Amino acid sequence: MAASDEASRQFAGLSDVSISEDIPVEGDISVPLGPSSRQRDDEFSTLDEPVKETILRDLRAVGSKFIHVLYPKRSTALLRDWDLWGPLLLCVTLALLLQGGAADSDDQGGPQFAEVFVIVWFGSIIITLNSKLLGGTISFFQSLCVLGYCIMPLTAAMAVCRIVLVGGAGKVSFAVRLVVVTLSFGWSTFASTAFLGDSQPPGRKALVVYPVFLFYFVIGWMILTFSPSQ
Amino acid sequence: MTMADDTEDVELDFAADEQERARRSAVLRHPLASFFHLFFRVVAIVAYLLCDWISENFAPCFVLIITLLSFDFWSVKNVTGRLLVGLRWWNQIDDDGKSLWVFEAKKASRGNNIGTEAEARIFWLGLIICPLIWTFFFFTSLFSLKIKWLSLVVASISLQVANLYGYLRCKAVGEDGQPADSRSFTGQHLLQRPDIIFGIL
Repeated sequence: MAASDEASRQFAGLSDVSISEDIPVEGDISVPLGPSSRQRDDEFSTLDEPVKETILRDLRAVGSKFIHVLYPKRSTALLRDWDLWGPLLLCVTLALLLQGGAADSDDQGGPQFAEVFVIVWFGSIIITLNSKLLGGTISFFQSLCVLGYCIMPLTAAMAVCRIVLVGGAGKVSFAVRLVVVTLSFGWSTFASTAFLGDSQPPGRKALVVYPVFLFYFVIGWMILTFSPSQ
Repeated sequence: MTMADDTEDVELDFAADEQERARRSAVLRHPLASFFHLFFRVVAIVAYLLCDWISENFAPCFVLIITLLSFDFWSVKNVTGRLLVGLRWWNQIDDDGKSLWVFEAKKASRGNNIGTEAEARIFWLGLIICPLIWTFFFFTSLFSLKIKWLSLVVASISLQVANLYGYLRCKAVGEDGQPADSRSFTGQHLLQRPDIIFGIL
């Protein structure tokens, strides 16, 4: 009681502040290395954020990239923060939509399903290696990200084709499907070259665009020639 | 007034101290993270075995296993690594488009919330054994000529080995005496090594 009385008297006036000797004072003074580390500091403080935050953040990033493919303005959002969730989702959707075709009726969709995966991923890897060997400045996974996200118009075309095929498989349906697939193929190629074109040295653009053209052509062909089994 | 404040302060410190002691002596500091670290990988392997023996439809099995392994990749890379062993790796793109892989290791210091010995063991065992099992599956599917399963196994191996490689590089950073980069964040020392992998990635 007496001690605390004395303590309260000691701290009564602001001019008389003193720190008792048996309270250790310690700490860490560190200077961040610069603007880049400050950004990393902010990101590292995501260490303690709840997992739900992390998931929502990633979902929002994926969603914004889908929107960027819909309106391929010249922006670098697709390139700066790449992620492969979108391509994976699109690949799985496309492969599932290509199920139940006449070509694989006796194998329960086996080869067709794995085929789509192999074509999409192996094709993207080959195109990326090609563009890197031609001296492109884009990184490996950025290129995979762009090529994967730009499959979205073709996946949408596949969904439309399936709906059209419900109404029958005659000449009219073929004409409609042809138009839809051609439009979406053009959109995919345009979107991906809009994002990839900048990273190539001039004069080599055609050499880089040609495999992309072929890649989406093969996928469009798979979509167009899909016929449901009876 | 001041007397009441003083006694309250003393009580608070006491409780925090006990909490510290309990936390430090726990066998598993992050039980949920440890569980999820192993959950997705083990379920994926079990699903592969069951699909193989029951010979179900290929497509749903493929999608299920790839989904499980993608969740596993994400959770090990983003959550369990930094919680269980204080390691982290990521890729960042500079303003001029250069891609850089950064491997980070937290130095052990007081007040750290890194996992215990048991958790570190769980982490590394889970990280090493599962790719070995998938490699074994690679050879079994190759020699039994089940080619469509081979594509699944190759995808699984690449997902699992990516995390293993990333964390081994982080560990190397942590054990190096001379880090390329080091900075402090709230008193915990972080070692970083920026890198370009294989000259291509």
